[in-house]
Amino acid sequence: MSKKFHIVLAGNPNCGKTCIFNALTGARQHVGNYPGVTVESKSGSFSLNGMEIEVTDLPGVYSLSSSSPEEKVVFEELTKKGIDLIVNVVDSTILQRSLYLTTQLAELHIPMLLAFNMSDDARKKGLKFDIAKLEKYFGSPIARTVGNNSDGVRELKEKMAEALAQLEDHGVPMLSYGADFDDAINAVAQRIDALNIEEYKHIPSRFFAIKLLEKDASAVGIKAMKPVQEEVDAQIEHLKGKHAIVADTFMADRRYAMLSGACHGAISFTQEKRREISDKIDKVITNKFLGFPLFLAIMYGTFWFTFICADPLMGYIEDFFGWLGGVVGNVWDPETLPFLRDLLIDGIIAGVGGVIVFLPNILFLFFAIAILEESGYMSRAAFIMDAVMRKFGLQGKSFVPLVLGFGCTVPAIMATRTIESERDRKITIMVLPFMSCGARLPIYALLIPAFFAKEYQAFTMWAIYIIGVLTALIAARIMKSTLFKGEREVYLMELPPYRMPSIKSLLLHMWDRGRMYLQKAGTIILLTSIVLYFCNTFPEKKAFSVDRTVKTAEVQKQKTDAGNLENARLAEKLEYTISGRVGKIFEPIFAPIGFDWKITTAAIGALAAKEVFVAQMGILYSEGEADEESEGLRKQLTRNYTPLQAFCIMIFSLLSIPCFATLAIIKRELNSWKMAFAEAGALFVLAYVVTLMVYQLGSVLGIGTKML
Amino acid sequence: MKKQCCCSDRQGDNVSLAELPVGTKATIVGILSKSRGRKKFADVGIVPGTELLIEAHAPFGGLIRVKVMESSMALHKEDAACIMIEKTETDNE
Repeated sequence: MSKKFHIVLAGNPNCGKTCIFNALTGARQHVGNYPGVTVESKSGSFSLNGMEIEVTDLPGVYSLSSSSPEEKVVFEELTKKGIDLIVNVVDSTILQRSLYLTTQLAELHIPMLLAFNMSDDARKKGLKFDIAKLEKYFGSPIARTVGNNSDGVRELKEKMAEALAQLEDHGVPMLSYGADFDDAINAVAQRIDALNIEEYKHIPSRFFAIKLLEKDASAVGIKAMKPVQEEVDAQIEHLKGKHAIVADTFMADRRYAMLSGACHGAISFTQEKRREISDKIDKVITNKFLGFPLFLAIMYGTFWFTFICADPLMGYIEDFFGWLGGVVGNVWDPETLPFLRDLLIDGIIAGVGGVIVFLPNILFLFFAIAILEESGYMSRAAFIMDAVMRKFGLQGKSFVPLVLGFGCTVPAIMATRTIESERDRKITIMVLPFMSCGARLPIYALLIPAFFAKEYQAFTMWAIYIIGVLTALIAARIMKSTLFKGEREVYLMELPPYRMPSIKSLLLHMWDRGRMYLQKAGTIILLTSIVLYFCNTFPEKKAFSVDRTVKTAEVQKQKTDAGNLENARLAEKLEYTISGRVGKIFEPIFAPIGFDWKITTAAIGALAAKEVFVAQMGILYSEGEADEESEGLRKQLTRNYTPLQAFCIMIFSLLSIPCFATLAIIKRELNSWKMAFAEAGALFVLAYVVTLMVYQLGSVLGIGTKML
Repeated sequence: MKKQCCCSDRQGDNVSLAELPVGTKATIVGILSKSRGRKKFADVGIVPGTELLIEAHAPFGGLIRVKVMESSMALHKEDAACIMIEKTETDNE
């Protein structure tokens, strides 16, 4: 059979839908974004008895209303043509609430298959279902599944094959909501039929009639259905007269009433166990006194896992790229196409290596986050931190990404996906760059020991981090009351019972994020490193003020100072290049904040990636290969600058954009280049203004103008 | 317990969800029409007639955790103040 079937997975949040999706498709999946919103779209494919099947994993929703971006997406996806089968994944441990969505899906009158997920938990909990009765009620076959078990979807696949073979005669019923209500629905449905709307012909008008009566925003927003609005209002008035109803929730009441009828006798209870264990864990984890310290400990653990455990791997990757550069350098004769050779070795291999080096960080971080999320801890963390974060215009779920921001801004921004509120998520993303990331650390580590006496060093470092945190919180507060002003959103968060995460979905999650990082951030960094390479190399200076090559040769015999001379030659070379020239051009702008042309060049380079700053200063001060441990560079710096200037460099680095990868990821997550550039611009202006104030004030008051 | 008296569209001595201590079981009798969350609440089973249990208050305040229809939901005190309930029983732990 050559027909390609299209099925969609629909269900509540936390119902284990993604586990089912992973079990069905394996790694054959594609993660993307729905256009215009930050809702993630997931699709994949698999074959079943020779049938090629495409699956879309819809975002988890409680209902087909339009009270969140996810629900709007689900509404739009489900009313599109071409869906052969809806697989409704249902958490069978909370059947009654989960079936609420099922009643709405049934109204679409598309063939449906119910997956009673977590059936093992339901059994442990002592729940027994009259499957035959429920199958008849919803006119859909029911498969019991265990999502986090590879064998758990076998029954689902069997029933799916059966259902796909007989799509024409499915038994999804027209559900009845009681005489008066059905009359109202029919009256509106007839009016919709009369309109004869081509786009929605494949869906019963009843579905839209119910949505219009519920005052659902997505349905009301369909222009072609405007003419029936009058009838809808009349019917609501009529119903109000007959029953004591509330217009926007009476259908919900009817559905629950209907469900309790349907479930009566179909579900029986013996004892409750799983929830009990989970509740016991929660007594400790969300405890008034223990909750917060435990949360900090878990955060610390995540941090430690991401940045300490990944460290050796990063070392291997670094070594590998060093080795690769060496091998290429040896194989490629320096005389043939020297420019391309240098571009490949110093530009591309070094640049790409610089990005891939962070991959272990990203993978470990997302592995840790996936554990926190899938185990159910993430919602507990949000529960604990919410009140504190809300004081600053953020919310509980903002906390975890903000802490991760101390490591690396890029994965931290990716971690904001757990925040459902679009507004809170945007604010969190916008203030994240203020959390001092790992790449800024080398700058502090270079400057602080050089300029500050031992007893002030720790304090200075701490102060820098605190300034970042305070700036983030104040900025969030300001944005909430200006840019993102508006009524408080109604907040409703489920705390699912604790569950053992499945290794398969942890690995898939990690792989998804890692791939995303390599694709998006990687291309940008690669481009930047090539551009930077050009700027640092061209135009090439051929004639030098002192012919040091000859001198080097002379001195080399005496084995003294050869390195220094070589480095001085490099510095003069650099001054002649685009980087040097750009530094000189911008010097007047940066002079008021205490930067000379050398710092300016380094600071501009650091806009691409903060690590560049130290390397660039090293080249400029003729220290060749510099890192934060360079004693020689420190001496040079203390001879040329004051502690105040050093402090200004750190403040500027802290407040300006961490790297181009951050810019690229902000663009990706906010879906707008405009927002990304506005953010970069705002950070630059803020960094400039704050540094200006610090430098000018410091200079006037004479603080830090001499060595401490 | 403090009684709320400002509910314009309900009389009687009903209390709101926000005022109950942890461990209380209660039945929802109504949701104030001023609440913007009515539809969201309805979608997770917070409708008149449903029974719920106050499970916990967040350590720093703000959120209240209730068990409704077999699942645990966290909501804000301000929103909970719009949910009128009738106590069914209290188990003191």
